[in-house]
Amino acid sequence: MELVKKVLNNDRASIAKAITLVESSNPKDKEESKQLISSLINHPGHSIRVGFSGPPGVGKSTFIESFGTYLVNKNYKLAILAIDPSSNLTGGSILGDKTRMSEISKSQNTFIRSTPSKGSLGGVSYGTREASIILDAAGYDFIFIETVGVGQSETMAANLVDIFTLIVGPGSGDELQGIKKGITEYADIFIVNKNDGDLKLQASKTASDYKSALSFYSKQDNQAAKEVLLVSSIEQQGMDSVIDTINEIIKFNKLNKIFDVRRENQLSYWIKEEIRNQIQSKLDLEVGNDTELLDMTKAVIKGEISIYDVSDHFLDKFLK
Amino acid sequence: MDKKNDNNDQLTDWKKKFEAETKTSSTDDIIINTDEGIGIKPLYIEEDIKNLNFVDVESLPGYEPYTRGPKASMYVNRPWTIRQYAGFSTAEESNNFYRKNLEAGQKGLSVAFDLPTHRGYDSDDEIVMGDVGKAGVAIDSVEDMKILFDGIPLDQMSVSMTMNGAVLPILASFIVAGEEQGVAVKDLSGTIQNDILKEFMVRNTYIYPPDPSMRIVADIIEYTSKEMPKFNSISISGYHMQEAGADNVLELAYTLADGIEYVRAALSKGLDIDDFAPRLSFFFAIGTDFFMEIAKLRAARTLWYKIMTDFGAKNEKSLTLRTHCQTSGVSLTEKDPYNNIVRTSYEALSAVLGGTQSLHTNSFDEAIALPTEFSARIARNTQLILQNETGVTNTVDPLAGSYFIEKITDEVASKAWEIIQEVEELGGMTKAVNAGIPKLKIEESATKKQAKIDSGDRVVVGVNKFQNPKEPKIDVLVIDNEKVREDQIKKINLLKGSRDNQKLEKSLNELTEDAKNGNNLLYSAVKAIKNRATIGEVSKALENVFGRHYATSVGVSGVYGKYFEGNEEFMHVTKKIQDFEKSYGRRPRVLVVKMGQDGHDRGAKIVATSFADIGFDIDMGPLFQSPKDVAKDAVENDVHAIGVSTLAAGHKTLVPELMNSLKEQDPENKIIVFVGGIIPEQDYDFLYEKNISAIFGPGSNIIESAEKVIDLISDKNNQ
Repeated sequence: MELVKKVLNNDRASIAKAITLVESSNPKDKEESKQLISSLINHPGHSIRVGFSGPPGVGKSTFIESFGTYLVNKNYKLAILAIDPSSNLTGGSILGDKTRMSEISKSQNTFIRSTPSKGSLGGVSYGTREASIILDAAGYDFIFIETVGVGQSETMAANLVDIFTLIVGPGSGDELQGIKKGITEYADIFIVNKNDGDLKLQASKTASDYKSALSFYSKQDNQAAKEVLLVSSIEQQGMDSVIDTINEIIKFNKLNKIFDVRRENQLSYWIKEEIRNQIQSKLDLEVGNDTELLDMTKAVIKGEISIYDVSDHFLDKFLK
Repeated sequence: MDKKNDNNDQLTDWKKKFEAETKTSSTDDIIINTDEGIGIKPLYIEEDIKNLNFVDVESLPGYEPYTRGPKASMYVNRPWTIRQYAGFSTAEESNNFYRKNLEAGQKGLSVAFDLPTHRGYDSDDEIVMGDVGKAGVAIDSVEDMKILFDGIPLDQMSVSMTMNGAVLPILASFIVAGEEQGVAVKDLSGTIQNDILKEFMVRNTYIYPPDPSMRIVADIIEYTSKEMPKFNSISISGYHMQEAGADNVLELAYTLADGIEYVRAALSKGLDIDDFAPRLSFFFAIGTDFFMEIAKLRAARTLWYKIMTDFGAKNEKSLTLRTHCQTSGVSLTEKDPYNNIVRTSYEALSAVLGGTQSLHTNSFDEAIALPTEFSARIARNTQLILQNETGVTNTVDPLAGSYFIEKITDEVASKAWEIIQEVEELGGMTKAVNAGIPKLKIEESATKKQAKIDSGDRVVVGVNKFQNPKEPKIDVLVIDNEKVREDQIKKINLLKGSRDNQKLEKSLNELTEDAKNGNNLLYSAVKAIKNRATIGEVSKALENVFGRHYATSVGVSGVYGKYFEGNEEFMHVTKKIQDFEKSYGRRPRVLVVKMGQDGHDRGAKIVATSFADIGFDIDMGPLFQSPKDVAKDAVENDVHAIGVSTLAAGHKTLVPELMNSLKEQDPENKIIVFVGGIIPEQDYDFLYEKNISAIFGPGSNIIESAEKVIDLISDKNNQ
């Protein structure tokens, strides 16, 4: 495949087109997309995939601009997948993350792609996993996946990355509730942003709140300790501690085989999801616009049959 | 029967007559809701002006609350100052233009600087290649400033300078130019805009982040209060808010809230309120909503009096709001441009009836290009005719006592006061601006206005109704931007070759130190400028400490689409987009950008939010991007189209560069490029030759534009 070769050569336009292909909702593109990913997965690069999530307004993009610039100045090659939540149901989306990434986007060593989440709750869009395969094969050192954290979505985002980072703002004590509920299960690093100006005091208080909340969390054996870091994106302070922590955790996880186990688990999760998706779309085709369904629904309302009769009927039909 | 009952009977009777004439069941059906959310009734009576909140209908001009004017005699004694804002190309060319205007009857000067100067870059900086000398005059050092005022005695001429970002080096250059002309600092008169808060909200020609920027504002207020008694330290501006789409109440409220914030900044310097408040001045836009604009100016004085009294001001000059006005630029249309003369005339009359102290009238061609000598003359004559032929100067505040005017003055004041209180609750304007609230409210208002025009709710003559089948061609001023840049670079090199570098370095270091230790920066800026530092060098010395500010904002969504629920045209385009999505597996994707140093992003924001509502996926680029950065962004996101918004005459250099960069970064790209904004028709062919697919001038209908874009994208991808 010509596209495979070009992606492996880090050809910017081809990487972009490859991502478009895997994100396409047109079934016709599916076959080509499968071929592409099947080839690229045999040319793994050395990317470390880092997830950044957090509630709206904590400065995720601003942090990525600041941290990313720091990495690029150290000659790392960096790809960013920004999943933009700002879509409304009837219209299209406004993808505004890049307005906060004006410096980093100038660098030839970056590749920044925004994707509308199309209202999918996960914050992760269809094709994000495939996109990170493409970027890994294209030779980036780091792949950042930025998602908005709302409730459940972190689990999905965490399933795509090697390290998962939660960004919070000063005074975000409300989320401490979340910590107890198990956010710690999948977040490796907590970054308290906006440690600057008037907010400094509040930021360090928030950090110590997080630290003490984490102390209730019982660490399993051979698991890296979870870290709470204080940074200021606008003053570019604390970025060295972020990269050091990432490197240490990766080193620890590789040493303890956690790194590979995670990737294996993610792969089997992906396979399961792929099966589910395929069943789903076939099922949708089967039942989606069926007048039979409508008729049977009417019969349910009239009390002639039960809803389970209907579901069993369609399932039988599907499995035949 | 007494008179009162008589009147009541007449009112009841009038209602019946009115309902019969208009064939409505109630006079309440005829209430017109303005953008400000004020219901305009068909009739106002004495009852309406009883129990007003702010206005005292019996007060006189020159007396509190100064609703009727800051002075007792107003125009009877001296008419408003005709102050035309102008500047372009080099200092030599602008100087020549100023001198001609002064001979022709203009009274004050108002300098427009080019965008690189605003943003603190010298003309030889790579980053500003496309912007030098456009939309204003290029000033790189005190040498340019001296040429700009050559033959214009600065002890007699009051000079207004629109400068906010690079305010320190520019004001310092003005001071040094005066000194070297033999004029003492204390004798300089005029105004510097120095209003940074609105830059963060709408105009985007800032340099540093909000906090250090506010400190610079306070430094200038402090300096001028001590050294320049005849100079207005700030011009608190609502103008650009209205231009960006704010309604009159938003404009008024945020402007006065800005004023409050500046007063606090100055007080924090330990100044007494009456030391500086007499030199605070204001600047409002006057649009086509004739009576509302008059009410706004009257309400502004009324509220400012209240605000300053609350601050404990005693001096009458502190208590009175004095303002400059400019007719609205966004009300001008590219279509049938001579109509703009008429619009501007009404707006000018409105400003005068509102009691402005000085006025700029726009030239009719400003929706297309910079004014020519011809259009500038008509603009100036619009005011000369008002002053000399119409008799409007014979009576002070002639509309006072009108039930209608007094009532809406009070309503505007009341609504604005509510918003001011909201800002106060947020902790003042700097905090509100940091939180992005005013910007969002203004964007929402702008999008609503655009939707009203596109849906035909609001008539714009020659644009969405009464179109001229034979559009006239008009001459425009062309700036040879390359030549200006070359000339400026020569002058910079000459300056750099002849100055004492040791002295220069020392003064620049001093400036950096003062930025750290909190000393008033204007004193050290004056020293550096005297030692022939360039504008860029002074700005950089401060940037080393303060950093540069980058804006972060996303548009509103859903506001535009709401106006078109069930609209056939709208659905028609939406359908096309859905079809496209089915065929190509994703929505059509458009990158909307501004390039160069032009920060006016109202147009870009409106296109982004309305296109998204119609169904496009919109990538918003950051401000101040180079064509190369835009191309990278477009390629990485595999967009179908790029929409370039340009208002500052940069299209002739920046757009071709973008096309080259695109070709370079993706030789096989199918990206459609379209351009919107202020582009003279003379340049259309040039742009089409560079493979631009479509050009949308001011007043373009968004839905029609969106349809054209989706058609172009579909065609290109079908090939």
